[in-house]
Amino acid sequence: MDYVHQLPDYLVLGLTRGSMYALIAIGYTLVYGVLQLINFAHSEVFMSGAFGSFLAVDALAPHVGSTAGATAVFLVGILAGAGTGSCIAFMLERVAYRPLRQRGAPKVAFLISAIGASFFLSQVAGKLFNRLSNNSFPEYFDVNHVAFTIAGAEVRVIQLIIVASALALMVGLDALVNRTKLGRSVRAVAEDAPMAALLGINIDRTVSRTFIIGGALAGAAGFLFGTAFAFSNMMGFQPGIKAFAAAVLGGIGNIRGAMIGGVTLGLVEALIPPLPGVGIQWTDVVAFGVLVAVLVFRPTGILGERLGRVA
Amino acid sequence: MNLKDALCGESARRLLICLVGAVIVAVMWGPQQGSPDDYGHGFKQAVLDPRIFVFLGLGVLMFVLAPRTAQLKARLALPGSGLFGAAAAGVALARTLLHWYDPVGDGKFAAASRAATSGLADVYFGWLYVVTWLLVVGVGLVAILRRSRALASVGALAALAAAELTTVAHADLVSTSRGIDHSYGADATVVAYVGVAISLVYSGWTGRRSSIRDKALDLQARYPGVLIAAMALFLATASVGFATWFSPGRLNARLWTSADLFDGTGISALAAVMQRGGLAASLVVAAAVGALGIYRSSTSLRIAAAGLSVLGGALTLFTAHAMGQIGVDNGVDGATSPWANLGTGPWFALLGFLLLAVAAASPWIGRSSSNAARGRSRAASATAASRMSVTPTLLAGLVVAIVLPHVFTEYWQQVLVTQIGVYVLLAVGLNVVVGWTGLLDLGFIAFYAIGSYTTAFLVGSLPVHPPFGIHLTPLAAIPVAIGACIVAGVALGAPTLRLRGDYLAIVTLGFGEIIRIVAINNPGNITNSTRGPETPVPHPEINVGILDLKWGTDPLQYWYLLLAILAIVVFLFTRLERSSLGRAWAAVREDEVAAKACGVDATRAKLLAFAIGASTSGLAGVFFASQVGYFNPDNFLLLNSILVLAYVVFGGMGSMKGVIVGAAFLTWLPEFLKDQVPADDRQMWIGAVLLFMMIFRPSGLIPERRHTVELTHTDNRQAVTAATASESEGS
Repeated sequence: MDYVHQLPDYLVLGLTRGSMYALIAIGYTLVYGVLQLINFAHSEVFMSGAFGSFLAVDALAPHVGSTAGATAVFLVGILAGAGTGSCIAFMLERVAYRPLRQRGAPKVAFLISAIGASFFLSQVAGKLFNRLSNNSFPEYFDVNHVAFTIAGAEVRVIQLIIVASALALMVGLDALVNRTKLGRSVRAVAEDAPMAALLGINIDRTVSRTFIIGGALAGAAGFLFGTAFAFSNMMGFQPGIKAFAAAVLGGIGNIRGAMIGGVTLGLVEALIPPLPGVGIQWTDVVAFGVLVAVLVFRPTGILGERLGRVA
Repeated sequence: MNLKDALCGESARRLLICLVGAVIVAVMWGPQQGSPDDYGHGFKQAVLDPRIFVFLGLGVLMFVLAPRTAQLKARLALPGSGLFGAAAAGVALARTLLHWYDPVGDGKFAAASRAATSGLADVYFGWLYVVTWLLVVGVGLVAILRRSRALASVGALAALAAAELTTVAHADLVSTSRGIDHSYGADATVVAYVGVAISLVYSGWTGRRSSIRDKALDLQARYPGVLIAAMALFLATASVGFATWFSPGRLNARLWTSADLFDGTGISALAAVMQRGGLAASLVVAAAVGALGIYRSSTSLRIAAAGLSVLGGALTLFTAHAMGQIGVDNGVDGATSPWANLGTGPWFALLGFLLLAVAAASPWIGRSSSNAARGRSRAASATAASRMSVTPTLLAGLVVAIVLPHVFTEYWQQVLVTQIGVYVLLAVGLNVVVGWTGLLDLGFIAFYAIGSYTTAFLVGSLPVHPPFGIHLTPLAAIPVAIGACIVAGVALGAPTLRLRGDYLAIVTLGFGEIIRIVAINNPGNITNSTRGPETPVPHPEINVGILDLKWGTDPLQYWYLLLAILAIVVFLFTRLERSSLGRAWAAVREDEVAAKACGVDATRAKLLAFAIGASTSGLAGVFFASQVGYFNPDNFLLLNSILVLAYVVFGGMGSMKGVIVGAAFLTWLPEFLKDQVPADDRQMWIGAVLLFMMIFRPSGLIPERRHTVELTHTDNRQAVTAATASESEGS
């Protein structure tokens, strides 16, 4: 019966974790949509967001005196994270993807160049900043303050912020992809790149901008993650894999699929392990088990693939 | 031109790229690290230090030179220039990268120059090194650019003199300072200087504008085995003449000096004769007969040369053993094995003799491409080469693999077994799945874990013992471990193989993580959690009839076991690749739908690939478990799976040679970098190497040729031309 009582707590936890996964997963899915490639270095873009926003927040935090100030610093942080993320993602595409595309490299070569870039980025961050595993942001507001209680579940400020920011970012992204000219060209490239090129869409520019959008979301997620927990140069690895799994779960190449996949994976991880007889140490096994089960019955994920089709 | 054009123009962009690149290199280069207190520390040290101007200068240089590379290349394409450049750079690299004198400090050149306090060594390591290098390179450069025969001969002689000087100075340093020395800086420098000399001779005495490479291949085609013979002769001469043969503790005796050393110790008469010129004489005789046989392509002389070389090898071993035995008898250095006190000399001499034998016998070993090229068309040669039969090169490689590890230090022997060898085996296995069948497997290390744990279970090292009191030796566990891996592979593959590439990747990744987490979580106390086996997994042993082999702690014993396993696996896999199953794999990889339409059972082919790959991984796991004894779930991280995949792609997916070389190189690299950069930075450099390789050579180090031949071109003649072109471009 304990489990039932704590269910709301688990739900809140799962939603928080899920929205984080969703934010990162969108980056995987966007790139997959336009290039049909898994961007293995995306987790490092996420990491770079945390470090980039840290530099900004660290400079501003000592001057915070009020709630308004804290909000401003938070907004600056999220913008700095998104900015760093998009810069790194842009450079990543230029260095690790575009030369290979121009040479018509085999698909696995992209994977290896991305893995190389991922090693490189995480270690350069370690060399430049530090290799500690638990850097934390300066405390400019009480992240663990209980904002309100719902059905017995305590909702902390940071959880509220994470879910709200993720929601806002995702709504914004959805609008960007579905309503703007840029979004239309992204969808067109995803649907049929040669045809889009024939219709006058600059493929290179669209791919570049797709990386920038995905990088911005991942960078923002890096800031949120760092604020909620801790950050380090190796922080990208685990969430990156989970977000990749989430993207596949929802149907890779499908933006709404990535959102649903992320939230689903977060909920699965929060709800199933505490069940009697399972145990928290089986979290990853449960997550991957659910993924495999879904893929066996729906080989293209929950919503099916393709960026262009769903929008 | 207005300002906007100037800022947004193509050249401005290139300049920007060069400068950003320079800053990135500045960040990568050097020992600076960030600090927890000051997050900008590392960056400030890297970028705000005056040294940034050096990097920026290099960036500007790149900016200036980059558009002119084609022009420069055309102007520098003079006979011998390529080898000259490489060799001259080789001398400089040997100075910065290699060890020169192990007993002092980090063993690098600077440490050696600090250790050298008197005589020639002091002068050489002080300033003479740089002066000789500048002299040789300067004269050589002028000789090559002006095509002057006189200058070229002066330069070549100077290079040889520099080589000799290096040897003497290094020997001087070692003999005055005393201490065990395993460094190869001086040897590498000698080899590089000899390369300089060869390039200069070539530049002075050739009339045509052909490259040394073409010339060498031409020679090889006219006189099969001549290149290997030349290499062997160089090795044998150098080792019989100059290398250390007997080195207990503080002594480094050459073959000649060791003769006096062993005077009156009761060493056998034959060994004494060998020390006093016997070996040198047999080398001269074998070389002379071999040279004559190769030159006149006389079968009987070649056979005689091969026989003489093998005899020379045997005499080398005999002499070395006799010397070592005396050492053991007299308790020198507390040696227990007659092989313990030997220097590198005997092994290099043995290598030289054996390679000479291979060279002399090369017309009868397989059909190498150059052999075939003599009589038959180039088309025939290309197909013969793509079949990878036993070629002289392969045999020479095998001889090197058998003999050379004897000169490594114990540490490097350990690395050779636990890192290089095991991961080469894993990469060869993964190549079946990824390279030949085109399935993306990111959980390959899981089967390695299954193999290791199955072994530990069967030998009774885990808390849960096998039923019916079964207690196997590790080698007897191989069939069971392979069976377990095949079952696991099929169990994973059957439901998931209908998934497309990227889905399969995440599922296999998940599988790998699940196996590792299960091992940590230890259900039913099977795996003993993070502690690994309770008692060490015993070392392997073979006890069949008269054959009684026991493996101990010596890494070389494991190396030979691993080499045998590798040889069998590689042989079987190359046969498989050419079987109908191999063709089915290729068909599935290229176009699954088309393959199915042609009647290929795609599911069966994919499952078999998965099972075969998994069993190779399991085999590696058995070896690993019984070699290290203790292991734990941390040996089976996702990172390892990713790395094995990187080895395969780096070497050249689907190409057996490429995969072996790629895996060996990338497992050797971190150990090598240990000496060059801060330990924490190694992964950064490896990432950069992977990135660069994929940008500039996305198909890998040695790309697969069958792919190009069979699938890119329909016209056969065109295909063969392409294959030979890619071959010459490839190395």
